Amino acid sequence: MRHVTACFRKRKHGEFKCLSRSFKQVLAGFYETGRREFTVLDSDMRFQVIVAAVFWSGFVESRKVRGISSSYKRFYKERKSFLCIDGSKIIPFEQVNDDYCDCEDGSDEPGTSACPRGRFYCTNLGFRPHYIPSSRVNDGICDCCDASDEYNSPAHCQNTCWNLGQKERAYVEGQMRTLDEGLRLKQQLIEEGVLLWREKQAQLRELQQVAEDLQIKLEEHRRRKHEAERLKEQTLKALEAGDSGKGRILMRSCCNPYSITVDEVKTKVVLVHDEERLLSEDEALGLLGGGHQIDLTKFRRTLWDVLTRGDSVKVRSISLHFQHPPRCFFAAEWEATNLKKVEEAYETVNMEISDLRKKLAIDYGTDWEFLFLNSQCYKLKVYEYIYTLCPFNQVTQKNTAGTEVSLGTWGMWAGTPKNQYSQMVYENGEPCWQGGSRTTTVTLTCGTETALRSVKEPSKCQYIMDFQTPVACQPVLKQRGIHSEL
Amino acid sequence: MASFTERMVPVLVLWLAVCLAETWAVDRGNFKTCDQSAFCKRQRALKPGESPYRALLETMELTNTRLTLQLINDNNKVRLLLELYRLQGNITRVKINELKPLKPRYEVPDVLIREPPTEPLSLLSQDENGVVLSLGSESQRVIISARPFRLDIMEGSDVLMSLNSRGLLTFEHLRMRKDTFSYKVTSTVASVWDNIKRVFSSQADPEAEKKEEADPANQAETTKEEEEKVEDGMWEETFKSHSDSKPNGPSAISLDFSLPGVEHVYGIPEHADTLRLKTTENGDPYRLYNLDVFQYELYNPMALYGAVPVMLAHNTQRTTGIFWLNAAETWVDISSNTAGKTVFGKMLDYVQGSSETPQTDVRWISESGIIDVFLMLGPTPKDVFSQYASLTGTQSFPPLASLGYHQCRWNYNDQEDVQSVDAGFDEHDIPYDFIWLDIEHTDGKRYFTWDPHKFATPKEMLQGLMDKKRKLVAIVDPHIKVDSNYKIHNEIRSKGFYIKNKDGGDYEGWCWPGSASYPDFFRADMRAWWASMFAYDQYEGSMENMYTWNDMNEPSVFNGPEVTMHKDTVHGAWEHRDVHNLYGFYVQMATAEGLIQRSGGIERPFVLTRAFFAGSQRYGAVWTGDNAAEWDHLKISIPMCLSLGLVGISFCGADVGGFFKSPSTELLVRWYQTGAYQPFFRAHAHLDTPRREPWLFGPENTALIREAVRQRYTLLPYWYQQFYHAHRTGEPIMRPLIQLFRKGRHVLKLSVPLMFFNSAAGRDLLVHPVTEEGARGVTAYLPGKDTVWFDIHTFQKHNGAQNLYIPVTMSSIPVFQRGGSIIPRKVRVRRSSTCMEHDPYTLYVALNLQRTAEGELYIDDGHTFNYEKKEFIHRRLSFAKNILSSVNLAPDAQFTTRSWIERVVILGASKPSKVTLQTADGQDSQLEFDFDASMSVLTLRKPGMNAGADWTVMLQRLLNLYKHLS
Repeated sequence: MRHVTACFRKRKHGEFKCLSRSFKQVLAGFYETGRREFTVLDSDMRFQVIVAAVFWSGFVESRKVRGISSSYKRFYKERKSFLCIDGSKIIPFEQVNDDYCDCEDGSDEPGTSACPRGRFYCTNLGFRPHYIPSSRVNDGICDCCDASDEYNSPAHCQNTCWNLGQKERAYVEGQMRTLDEGLRLKQQLIEEGVLLWREKQAQLRELQQVAEDLQIKLEEHRRRKHEAERLKEQTLKALEAGDSGKGRILMRSCCNPYSITVDEVKTKVVLVHDEERLLSEDEALGLLGGGHQIDLTKFRRTLWDVLTRGDSVKVRSISLHFQHPPRCFFAAEWEATNLKKVEEAYETVNMEISDLRKKLAIDYGTDWEFLFLNSQCYKLKVYEYIYTLCPFNQVTQKNTAGTEVSLGTWGMWAGTPKNQYSQMVYENGEPCWQGGSRTTTVTLTCGTETALRSVKEPSKCQYIMDFQTPVACQPVLKQRGIHSEL
Repeated sequence: MASFTERMVPVLVLWLAVCLAETWAVDRGNFKTCDQSAFCKRQRALKPGESPYRALLETMELTNTRLTLQLINDNNKVRLLLELYRLQGNITRVKINELKPLKPRYEVPDVLIREPPTEPLSLLSQDENGVVLSLGSESQRVIISARPFRLDIMEGSDVLMSLNSRGLLTFEHLRMRKDTFSYKVTSTVASVWDNIKRVFSSQADPEAEKKEEADPANQAETTKEEEEKVEDGMWEETFKSHSDSKPNGPSAISLDFSLPGVEHVYGIPEHADTLRLKTTENGDPYRLYNLDVFQYELYNPMALYGAVPVMLAHNTQRTTGIFWLNAAETWVDISSNTAGKTVFGKMLDYVQGSSETPQTDVRWISESGIIDVFLMLGPTPKDVFSQYASLTGTQSFPPLASLGYHQCRWNYNDQEDVQSVDAGFDEHDIPYDFIWLDIEHTDGKRYFTWDPHKFATPKEMLQGLMDKKRKLVAIVDPHIKVDSNYKIHNEIRSKGFYIKNKDGGDYEGWCWPGSASYPDFFRADMRAWWASMFAYDQYEGSMENMYTWNDMNEPSVFNGPEVTMHKDTVHGAWEHRDVHNLYGFYVQMATAEGLIQRSGGIERPFVLTRAFFAGSQRYGAVWTGDNAAEWDHLKISIPMCLSLGLVGISFCGADVGGFFKSPSTELLVRWYQTGAYQPFFRAHAHLDTPRREPWLFGPENTALIREAVRQRYTLLPYWYQQFYHAHRTGEPIMRPLIQLFRKGRHVLKLSVPLMFFNSAAGRDLLVHPVTEEGARGVTAYLPGKDTVWFDIHTFQKHNGAQNLYIPVTMSSIPVFQRGGSIIPRKVRVRRSSTCMEHDPYTLYVALNLQRTAEGELYIDDGHTFNYEKKEFIHRRLSFAKNILSSVNLAPDAQFTTRSWIERVVILGASKPSKVTLQTADGQDSQLEFDFDASMSVLTLRKPGMNAGADWTVMLQRLLNLYKHLS
């Protein structure tokens, strides 16, 4: 590591003080400060106006060297020589801002365009100060609102800082109002979100209860079906063995609880002369002797003969004989059908549960503040297209002809590590012409209402949306604003 | 925002067809091979041998500057007329046409800048076997041999070039179609008429009688002719589903040229091939036929977007050129007697001294027109460039800003998009001068209009750019949407300016707008009208910082044969067949004229074209069309632009990043580094590719790209000066090593691959960009035994005549400044070139072994034609005997500049004791300086004199001081 010795005259004591500092340290210091300044510049600086103004009034009278900020004044104290801030070279002080670049780091020319990597400080009284690259000094384009960068150029720059400052202040105020309102709404939405979350949780629990019940039912039905099947098998065996007495007993025991209903008569029995027509309720009731259901034995005794004689009515389906094979065969089928029904119900409930779970598994923000967006859709017309964003679900584009194209389904949060909830990605939309599929990136910004603000397609099949919602309002932003106003 | 499919319904079908056929390569089946082009097949079937042509020496007429002579084809007795001119500047022009064509044959107009001035020819000797003519004062002679006809150009005892030495001259004379009814009627009527004439003419027209007598073959001609067989493709031809009616029948021409002593030939762009042309015996000839080739393939002789029928032949002694002035479809065959030999075989020949003389034979075949060939006899490359420039003109002198960086994309979607890209450059501190708008900016592909939603207030947008001293290019293609609500279409149609189909109606084809017609740019009145459309009051939304791009001007016709126009369409008296390769030339000509006119003749135009022809250099820039984001495409951009430079078109570039597909970050960075050192520097991308503005690949890559672009901007004064030089002399800007060091046998003999991948801007910078993926080093050949080269980044000195291995990183762009040169730079890189106008210069003086150096400094306003009125500064900078001085090269020119000299960097210097500046007023002042002993670099601090002034800087050395003292 190279060490340089830097000498400064300390004004107070009129003596030289030599500092031995590591080159790297000096550099680091310089760039650190620089970076901070630039970071400030990059970030939302609207709240720093007043701070700057305060600072400005403090040092304005002593400023002599063009293009530096007050924090750098200490490097440019009028003396015989000037030490490049990176410590690499000492030059006569007249060579500071003499329009020739002597220092590698450009520190000798803060006020001219001479150094390729230099920077110029726009004081911008009334607005916010910022750095511009040296190459923008005297290039004929007004960059600093105080016109300080074009001190030797044909460009007639006006000092617009006050206006800009006004606008900025108005804008900031507007933003603040939006933020306040946004945060208030956000709080509501958070509360709603929490309620919704609880509701959904309750719903889930309910569904789980239903599922459990169904589970029990299912087992019962499985058992019954199994039993019925067993009986059926036994009966079959008995019948095959010719032991009709035993069969009858079995039949009775397995069939007695059963009866014939009106509906069954309606579906199984038809008129001989008009097979297409279903029996009416009255006709079926007639067959059953006026009652809505009839005991099977009774049915056999009274009606069966009529039916089998087949003068005017007949049994439609051979597979569903009323007499042979014995009724317990139907029982097995009956049980199977019932089991299926329960199984289906169970499946449906389970699907609902997993859907709900999936939905609940989505990250809706730390306070479930984004939950309310679920099941909502937002539309925006851009030129000839209507775009629809259904958060956590999908994005679509519809043209005037009504053709709808998927621009992606919910993928993930994709914001910055600091605030991952600032961006959403929807992926695997309709495939594209040259391979790949459509994707949409949604940027969430703070606003008082929830709406889709803009849609763009910067590259083919890659869409970006600006989605405004109170829940994107960040208290951090506000704090920073207040903080810088202090 | 629309999906591609919805917006592109008209072209979709075609694209789909193409895409399905093959994914990432040209669909060769869409384009003809020689075998599929009837005339090429017919001509190529002829083998070298005895030529049927005989010179009728008795018909020779020689005036002071023109020789004419009839040739006869002994097989069919058709006579040709040969004209031979000696042109000023060591050029011989040979013209051959039918003596009595059935109807006129097309002769290319407007390409030559004037009727070339001639020089006297004199007859040296003549006998029954031939004629010997003297070509001016030099020891050059033309020998015309009679039987068979052959033409040799000699210098001393050397044959420079022979024509028809292989007997491949053919001239398909125009004829009546014999199998048609009309022919029979016509010929019967004609013979009756002849008889009547004969009866009455003996007294009335003795001249005619004489002519008949002088033409005894007339009778035989008719009989012979009837025996000629009609081959397929003579009277009509079908390619794929397209049929070409050929009402004029066969009309091809062909001639062979032998080049003794020549191993390598160059030129005849545009082909995606090596700089040195390959022999074509085992494949197709090189084809010249302007075509819109979708996803072109590399390293083959297929035709591309432009055609310059100029070939250069080069060996250590002499450089010559052949300019075949014909605008029809043309094929060029090349063979060489050393082609088959290995490098080892050649070395063996060289060592044993037993080598037969190398020779290259070339044969040109064109579908119609006449033979009109200019033999440019050198002898140096510089001479050939100046000879060719004297015929077709030099590179237009572009506005300085157009040498900056251009940011293009199909498409910047709307004004907001343009604004945000513009802001992106400022945010990332990358300079650029032009942002481009492709076809989507228009209202439904109606050129000269704006999309009413996306570009609702174009002037606002242009003003925004102007405020930053930047400019815009908007595309204007020559296919005009057939739409009765479109003003441009209505006017062209009502004026009858459209190209006609063979039945006389307006030709309609399919292009971006759907059904489109094509203005007939061959008509001067059409071109004048077109030019008037660029007036600010005609072209709504245009402003003076808006320039033009002509694409698709081959012309591209999606549903036409080979994606271009049917050959039997009609341009007045001519068929499209005769004129095809000129279409793009005229489109750019008319557009450039429009841009000049709109400014009242004051401002220089900037027009980019895809199609071009000989002479296109006069109208603007060209680019290598729709390339792809592949390493091989990056590599091929170098020989493609080098080839164009050799034939006059210096303002050449390739789409940085590659048009189709998406480049890897490494490829993109390397492409910026390469493009920064090519004359036309524009990034462009296909609609379907992801965004690739320079800052989208992370800060490291942004920095690499920024650095490459900044290097370009620091060298802008040098680029500008190179363009001025090219404009004055016709010499190329990007030059292959062959030309720089023509006596460098090493380079020539072995033709190391370096030659193809190396490029040099002007003669002072040698550039060897990294074009290999994952490269860790490159080997560059530094030519010149007594030459030294300085790395422009490190100032490290290297000796010439060596293969230098250079280790590289991602930031490396190997560039060397030649010892002996002085290069001016502006090192204060700003937002755009215009922002740098008044900036001071830094002079980089690179000393050679003799400790001398020379260079120039050219300054003008950068954008008007006032330089033609002598409003410029042109100075010679020279360093010798430790004195650097600036003297006026143009004392009669007037211009003042605010620019001054801020720094002088002398490479290869020794440490002086004192440095004194003497200005024109005789004032002396001492200059501060800094000497870096490790690299021998002397930097003079802030001399401060005006760049336009006379001055002298003296370096006093300790040794000199002692001398003075003693």
